[in-house]
Amino acid sequence: MKSPFGRGPEAVTGIQGDLKPGAPGETAAEAPQDVDLTAATGADADALPLEIMAQSLGEYLRAWWQKLKSGDSGLLPVLVAMVIVAVAFEVLTPENAYLRPSNLVYIFGLSTVYMVLAMGEIAVLLLGELDLSVGAVALMGGTIAYKLVQQPTPNWPWWLAILTSLVCCGVIGFLQGTLVAKLKIPAFVVTLAGQLLFTGMLVVILGGADGSLSVSPADPNQSVLYNLVQGSIDPVVSWVILAVVVVGFGTMMWLRASERRRSGLVAPPASLTAIKIGLMAVVGVVVLIICTVNRGGVFATIEGLPWVIPVVIVILGLWTVLLQQTRFGRYVYAIGGNAEAARRAGVSLPRIRIWCFVLCSATAGFAGILLGSFYYGQYSTNVGDPGQLVLYSIAAAVIGGTSLFGGRGKPIHGVLGGLLIGGIAYGVSLMNLGSLSIPLEYILPGVVLLLAVLVDVLSRRGARTGSVVRV
Amino acid sequence: MARIDSDPLTGPAAAASSSGGVDTPVDLTAAAEVGEIPPEVLAQSMGQYMHVWWQRVRGGDSGVLPVLLGLVIVGVGFQIANGHFLTPQNLVNIFEQSSIYILLALAEIFALLLGEIDLSTGLVMGLGAVIVAELVQPSGAASCALCPHGLDFPAWLAIAVTLLICAGVGLIQGTLVARVKMPSFIVTLGGWLVLEGVALIVLNGNPISLKNVTVPAQVQIYNIFWGYFSPTISWILLAVVLVVVAAWWWFRDASRRRRGLVAPPPIFTAIKIATVVVAGVVLVGLCNTNRAHFGVIEGLPYIIPIVLFVFFIWTMLLQRTRFGRYVYAIGGNPEAARRAGVSLPSIRTWCFILASLTAGIAGVLFASWQVFLTTNIIKSSNSYVLLAVAAAVIGGTSLFGGRGRTIHGILGGLIIGGIYNGLYLMGVSSEWVDIFIAIVLLAAGTVDVLSRGGSRSRA
Repeated sequence: MKSPFGRGPEAVTGIQGDLKPGAPGETAAEAPQDVDLTAATGADADALPLEIMAQSLGEYLRAWWQKLKSGDSGLLPVLVAMVIVAVAFEVLTPENAYLRPSNLVYIFGLSTVYMVLAMGEIAVLLLGELDLSVGAVALMGGTIAYKLVQQPTPNWPWWLAILTSLVCCGVIGFLQGTLVAKLKIPAFVVTLAGQLLFTGMLVVILGGADGSLSVSPADPNQSVLYNLVQGSIDPVVSWVILAVVVVGFGTMMWLRASERRRSGLVAPPASLTAIKIGLMAVVGVVVLIICTVNRGGVFATIEGLPWVIPVVIVILGLWTVLLQQTRFGRYVYAIGGNAEAARRAGVSLPRIRIWCFVLCSATAGFAGILLGSFYYGQYSTNVGDPGQLVLYSIAAAVIGGTSLFGGRGKPIHGVLGGLLIGGIAYGVSLMNLGSLSIPLEYILPGVVLLLAVLVDVLSRRGARTGSVVRV
Repeated sequence: MARIDSDPLTGPAAAASSSGGVDTPVDLTAAAEVGEIPPEVLAQSMGQYMHVWWQRVRGGDSGVLPVLLGLVIVGVGFQIANGHFLTPQNLVNIFEQSSIYILLALAEIFALLLGEIDLSTGLVMGLGAVIVAELVQPSGAASCALCPHGLDFPAWLAIAVTLLICAGVGLIQGTLVARVKMPSFIVTLGGWLVLEGVALIVLNGNPISLKNVTVPAQVQIYNIFWGYFSPTISWILLAVVLVVVAAWWWFRDASRRRRGLVAPPPIFTAIKIATVVVAGVVLVGLCNTNRAHFGVIEGLPYIIPIVLFVFFIWTMLLQRTRFGRYVYAIGGNPEAARRAGVSLPSIRTWCFILASLTAGIAGVLFASWQVFLTTNIIKSSNSYVLLAVAAAVIGGTSLFGGRGRTIHGILGGLIIGGIYNGLYLMGVSSEWVDIFIAIVLLAAGTVDVLSRGGSRSRA
């Protein structure tokens, strides 16, 4: 009989190692009730970064390099893949058009749907489950929101329409989650049936297979939905927002790090915090420079930060805080790492599982609203193939670094993986491939998904803290 | 070994007989799969037999009873909704349409028995349909990207090549699942997408047809689905099959009884034979009524013996061979099977190969059924995956492995075919059909989970 806590002695050192020597009373004072499951199950080795012990930048880099060598490569592979994809398509596309600012902004718009879907999917993947219905649920969410803002009836305000759509999708997630968590029907069967069911209902809501809905940018209420992906923020305002965000977030990071250092908790070296803030500022400035180039062509001026970038960042922030700063998040990782251990530690498995499905479906619903906006405010059965959306979103999550076997993954993986998938999809469509271009739209994500899972499987096999080994 | 082959009914009874001096190999089926041991094996008279059977039904192990009930409900329900449902013409229609679902369900059962899933069966079928149709295009026809001048294969070669390619797909997927240990739903989900692209490449945007009467291969493939025996030959065929089956069952049971092995009472054998005779006569009788609106179409469609033949072969394989026992053993408890010396990777790989092969057979039928193949065929293959899983699970195959029989595929496929046909007769639009099928799948999954009664509960 193995220890219920995955790895025995290491977990213990792990908990102690989280504290600097000299502050022994700290955990007890901070949260006496709160069992740190993530550390205890050992499911999520990278939630306990080695560099936590590093005191200087040099030590930190060394620790990071060691982690990399041991196979725990974090975000590095997806970032490297993005560079390779960008360079390859820039060379391969006719007229080297791939990296033009207008294309880059378009790729981001295309990718947002995959990013948001993948963030939802990650919540379920972390549990070691799978949601195959996100594509259909996304289309449902978009259709409901678009239906509710139609003139003259029902003409709901945009925020109420979005809220209602998210609640409806949440209810869908609740039903599916209940079947999975309470009745213990395998998730892939429930959500596969869900995909069929909601694709059918979607057509019913749209009013037949040829039905379509649209929102107009001219209507003040509908324009909010239209502008989610299509709209841009004025360049001057964009710069002001960037400045505020960088300064605000930077100050917060800096103050928190120094606060931790002052109270004797583990904190990264000051130089590292500075580098992080600097990096954030540089990325922000680069993105903004790209976005403030006129991408409208000769007849119209379109410039400025697309709304969708701050929207995605907000969703990413919400998911990151939920999964990495709250007790709920720790429980999710704990269940994914070792469900039995989590149960014995007192985590209510059905409740956490159901909530993950609810949040996943609600996030998918929002992705569906973004999808409509990406297609210039049009909604019909042609905006997206539910099956393809699901595959893209799972591929995005897995490529980003989230494991299919639960317990390993972060929301940022969805964003980076989604961007990579969108980049590949758009790059292929830019190339003149003739009759091969449509088949490749299917083959590429399939191959990419299989490769990503292959890497996931192989890296799991070598990992110190593998979860349950399959016979 | 010979004794074991003659005594597939494993369990306590088999153990008792093996103590009679036969050195049996490790009986994995018994260990893995308690639910499948028929308690009636121990019954000696008809009365006892019925009693045991009733107890088993009450104990939750209802076998094919729920799905037979489901068939009756579907039949009666749609007959009330639309008076045409149970006419002989429509019933033959349902048999023909269900053949695809049945074959796909049989394919899916190979994966489900292992506790795995194959989501690519629908697209393997689509790919098979496109390939077989491309291979019989005559020289000079506008054709696929890979064979620009038309290959003009004879029908048997085209079918063989198609099945070989489909089996190859299964080999690749099976290897990824069994040896690389990737989760089967992801491998086959990726396979689904890749195959959709490959099928589009093979089709190369050109609609192709099997309607060219000057090409014998096309006529032969067309006839697989649309051809039929003449009524007289149908009756003769039925008679031959019935005599063989009846003789085989009767003499097998008689020989078992003589040698003191466990065997059902003679009256039960007789009842079994009588049931098959009645079913066969009714089937051929239905097929031999004229089902054409104009002119005469009567006789047994080729498709019915074809499906029954595949069913027979797979039943033999799963229930009479060592391979079959190993499949059930792995589905019941892979770790136990591994420790008993079963090679998990090779059995698993073979199951995926057989699943794809069966889906390939369905593909040949699909091409023959559709006659004109366009990209829409590939699109519609998508929904067949769900129908395949639904048919297998509705029939009574467990999603958790180790429980299920080929007959479940036949019955589940008939239910799905009946529902599709009935809803179509009622003029229900396709989205409502999808919703209905999804609900049926969910219901079947729920029944499967509940009937297991938490025996192997998850954390």
